[in-house]
Amino acid sequence: MKISGKMTELIEKYRKLVQKYLDLRSYNTAMFWADRVVVLTDNSKDVFWLAHCMYMEKQYHRAAFLLKARNLEKKNILCTSLAAKCYFEALDLEQALQVINNSDFNTPLTEGNIPPDIELGFLEDTSKSHAISSFLLLKGRILAAMDNRSLAANYYKQALRYDVYCFEALDLLTRYQMLSSQEEYELLNSLPFAEQCSIEEVEIVKHLYEMRLKKFHTPMEPKIPNLFASTPDCIRSLPGSIISTPMSSSDKMQIDSCVAVILSKFQTSLDFKVSQAEILYYNGDYDNCLKLTETVLQKDPYHEGCLPIHIACLVEYKQSTKLFSLGHKLVNLYPNKAISWYAVGCYYYVINNNDSARGNLTKATSLDKLFGPAWLVYGHSFANEKEHDQAMAAYFKASQLMKGCHLPHLYIGIECGLTNNVWLAEKFFEQAQAIAPNDPFTLQERGLICFQKQEYEKAEQYFNIALEKIRKVKRGPLTPMWAPLLNNLGHVCRKLKKYDQALEYHNEALILNPQHPATVSAVAFVYSLMDKCDEALEWFHKALSLNRDDTFSRTMLNSLLERAADDLLPYSDSPNELPNFKQSQR
Amino acid sequence: MDVTDIKIDLKTMKQDVLRGISQCSERGLVHALKWLSELNFSLNHIKLLAEDIPLVHEDCGEESATFLLAKSYFNLKEYDRCAFFVRNCTTPKPRFLHFYARYLAIEKKKLDNMTDTNCPPDPTQNDEMKALCSELKNSYYEDQLDGFCSYVYGIVLKKLDLKSQALDVFVKVVQKEPVLWSAWYELGKLACDKYNNILSQVPDHWMKYFFLAHTNLEQLNNDEGLEIYQKFYDMGLKNNSYVMSQIALGYHNNRKLLEAIEMFKKILEFDPYRLDNLDIYSNLLYVLENKTELADLAHKVVNIDKYRVETCCVIGNYYSLRSDHAKAVLYFKRALKLNPQFLSAWTLMGHEYMEMKNINAAIQSYRYAIEINARDYRAWYGLGQTYEILKMPFYSLNYYKQAQMLKPNDSRMIIALGETYEKLDRTENALKCYYKACAVGDVEGSALIKLAKLYDKLNDVENATAVFTEYCLREDEKKEKIPEEQPEYYSALQYLANYYLRKGHLDDAYMYAYKCLECEQTKEQGKALLKAIASKRIEQDDMEPDNEVSMSATREEDTKNDSNNMDLTF
Repeated sequence: MKISGKMTELIEKYRKLVQKYLDLRSYNTAMFWADRVVVLTDNSKDVFWLAHCMYMEKQYHRAAFLLKARNLEKKNILCTSLAAKCYFEALDLEQALQVINNSDFNTPLTEGNIPPDIELGFLEDTSKSHAISSFLLLKGRILAAMDNRSLAANYYKQALRYDVYCFEALDLLTRYQMLSSQEEYELLNSLPFAEQCSIEEVEIVKHLYEMRLKKFHTPMEPKIPNLFASTPDCIRSLPGSIISTPMSSSDKMQIDSCVAVILSKFQTSLDFKVSQAEILYYNGDYDNCLKLTETVLQKDPYHEGCLPIHIACLVEYKQSTKLFSLGHKLVNLYPNKAISWYAVGCYYYVINNNDSARGNLTKATSLDKLFGPAWLVYGHSFANEKEHDQAMAAYFKASQLMKGCHLPHLYIGIECGLTNNVWLAEKFFEQAQAIAPNDPFTLQERGLICFQKQEYEKAEQYFNIALEKIRKVKRGPLTPMWAPLLNNLGHVCRKLKKYDQALEYHNEALILNPQHPATVSAVAFVYSLMDKCDEALEWFHKALSLNRDDTFSRTMLNSLLERAADDLLPYSDSPNELPNFKQSQR
Repeated sequence: MDVTDIKIDLKTMKQDVLRGISQCSERGLVHALKWLSELNFSLNHIKLLAEDIPLVHEDCGEESATFLLAKSYFNLKEYDRCAFFVRNCTTPKPRFLHFYARYLAIEKKKLDNMTDTNCPPDPTQNDEMKALCSELKNSYYEDQLDGFCSYVYGIVLKKLDLKSQALDVFVKVVQKEPVLWSAWYELGKLACDKYNNILSQVPDHWMKYFFLAHTNLEQLNNDEGLEIYQKFYDMGLKNNSYVMSQIALGYHNNRKLLEAIEMFKKILEFDPYRLDNLDIYSNLLYVLENKTELADLAHKVVNIDKYRVETCCVIGNYYSLRSDHAKAVLYFKRALKLNPQFLSAWTLMGHEYMEMKNINAAIQSYRYAIEINARDYRAWYGLGQTYEILKMPFYSLNYYKQAQMLKPNDSRMIIALGETYEKLDRTENALKCYYKACAVGDVEGSALIKLAKLYDKLNDVENATAVFTEYCLREDEKKEKIPEEQPEYYSALQYLANYYLRKGHLDDAYMYAYKCLECEQTKEQGKALLKAIASKRIEQDDMEPDNEVSMSATREEDTKNDSNNMDLTF
């Protein structure tokens, strides 16, 4: 009795030691003592912890074998998860999936039932749903790694439903563009927040998740209008729309104010800023976006969510030196992350070294197969060289990876349009529009295809809708990004013989993007069609001074000059008839 | 507007000027500051009471330390550094400094990059300016720009060739900050075709009169401008070198060369180290071919500042007058390196290149001149000439037209236009041009004979005769006559003799035919004419009563004369 009492005491002590050393990240020590405990007790809970220590020590196969030897991976959901995770980390996907599929919980869970006998004794304060959620999440990740993305998405969704706090599932869904925007919203609305969170939490969690959703499918306004009015850190306004729940008004007020305080705290978080930067980026406000990402990266130089946006901004501004140093830094520090090689690839893309760009982008995609942006830039690098077919192939790949993103379809359509395959282009634009019906870019491209098909009225309609969508969110002057849209409107109006309107649009485009040679020559062309010879001459001259190799302007100028010579009025106040000479009186 | 209406209370003017001086000096607006200080100096005789002296308090509050730091960098021309420190400021002064420093930084970099290449920067490579513009645009839209910041917005717009927007902005600026001379100045440059529209929008401030005068000169309404300046001068702005040089400029534009030179001499007496506008002075001396004074001026200005645009232009003119065109070009180039926006250097360089027969370079120079100021008729005219040499008459026609439009009463432009029309076989238009040239007073004296020939070509015998007669009368008035050098004159005589012979005015015909004998080339034909006249005389004496026969005889001679006419046109 005494011995056994002593032993239990010892076992308890060692168990505590294991936990302590785990907390202190001394995994080897923890493993040693865990092993002692297992020897003493041969308890499956202790085996689980030993396996956990091995996992932390990156001895994946050993851990998995340990669990398998005792058949724990079948009976206990936590052990199943651990064993599968071990194989997953060891990149042994087949095995991992096998472990999951062979466990007792797999069948009921896939059928949507909660298995009744889940033993959770190993981990205190872990609820059933948490364990199931992590199990499902793992299964999803394994499937995604095996290129079975649609099934994976399903498991992520389930994982989220079992545990609304399981952010990783949401993150994976959104980051890899697995769902279309509509599906994302449906998912968010179907999550059982009310069952799993307290009342005030519902809104907070929902709000935090909303921030992560897609932003580029439709133009929207950044939540903080005066982001830079004073200091960027101080945030003034709060989001106004919060879903109200029926309750007595005073209670509601109280909770609302409490929620508001918490949310305003969250607004100072970097994640929030990054989401605002994304909105700014997609609105074409690169300037403010860059400022915001720079402030974020000052506080957290390797913020994962911020880097892609930051890189995109730098590409937009063609700041090759900054991209160069950023790429170097990232590759040195995180050679195993796709984003590092993506940055390098973008650098080469910006300096027009397309071959090297592709080399680095391939590296990025080999590190993270699902990294869509790399595939898109890969396509752009081909498009840059007018290699339309290869560009399309790259975009196709991207479209398979990013089911919920319309951009690949849009780019494929553009390439089709460039190769004069109007019909096919239209098909792709339709697909893109089905995913993102409000995207002004897609609308613009559709208009362009109509223009190519000489259906000018339809084209005008598309352009106008696009413009409307943009104006809805942006009060005041548009960003220079939209100058081409205005120019397109100008071209269409010219084709429809609405010359005054065409001039207006072109002039507006010039305000957005001054001294653009093509716009200037378009203005000149409209003037020449309006028979305003002098203005046309002036503007063609301007166009040629901006771009000397503009053959269109040169030809037009020549013909206009010849036409001007036929003018019957050689100078402004000249008589129409031949004058009669009056001899001076002498 | 009537000049007598101008009434300025010099006291309020002085108060405004003092306020403006303090505002501009705080903001580093050096040119406006210089202008205002000169004005203040000429108002020295106006005494203000102590309580009337305006005190300008523009407190930056907590940002004043930042502002002072930034301003010190600004004064050292470290613009980027200056802009960086005031980037987040909200009070008007540092905010202005931020935008202005950014603008100047962009401009300075552009200029620095020019030292290697010899042409102005590529206009399509100005993304930074566009970024600055869109930032200012957003603030302007939200009405967050004060007068001075709007001024920066205006100049940025102008740089980006958005003239009508810039115009609106400058109108706003002068409404808000009427003493900011730079804004008025830019307004005057931009206001060409909407001038009257602008006038109704600008505030009724005493600055408006300076603006009016300046713009009038700019638009070559010299008399109106001069009148206003004279009024200022009479009102007590005696020693204002700006007003004086504007008056000189007006004289120059009016081709009152001697008065202009007189004025420049006065200015130099009062302010001997002033270099502004001295390039105009050198132009005057150049036109008068006054080599000694030009050399003297060149030496003086070199001593003052070798690296000023005006200095370089004076020296360039000096070398040009000595026909050392390569050296002249060198100096004009130097001027343009110092300031690529210096209009007259571009035009003058174009002229030099023309002299050196470097047509392409001339075209480039003229084009840049026009880009800077589309109202420079000399550059347009030069362009027309270059394209004439290149045998591209359609182009030169267009450029001459522009030049003529700007200087409607200058016979040189209109004759050039006529000649081009002639080359293009647009005879009627050419004729109209020559007609106008005669009407406005033909400087070179070639319009009349050209007009006559064209009338002749169009078979308008009456008009042709009238013009030929006028031409001969004018030629007769000239004293020295060397027959061999005036083939035009003698062919005119021949034409007239033929005409009168046909008409049967035998006495007139005889007179003209006789004159033809003076010249070798027309001698033979003159003799033949005299013979014809003599035989006609006999015929007339014989057949006087019978009209029919004489009619047919005239007709016969008509055909004969036609062939003569053909000769004449060569």
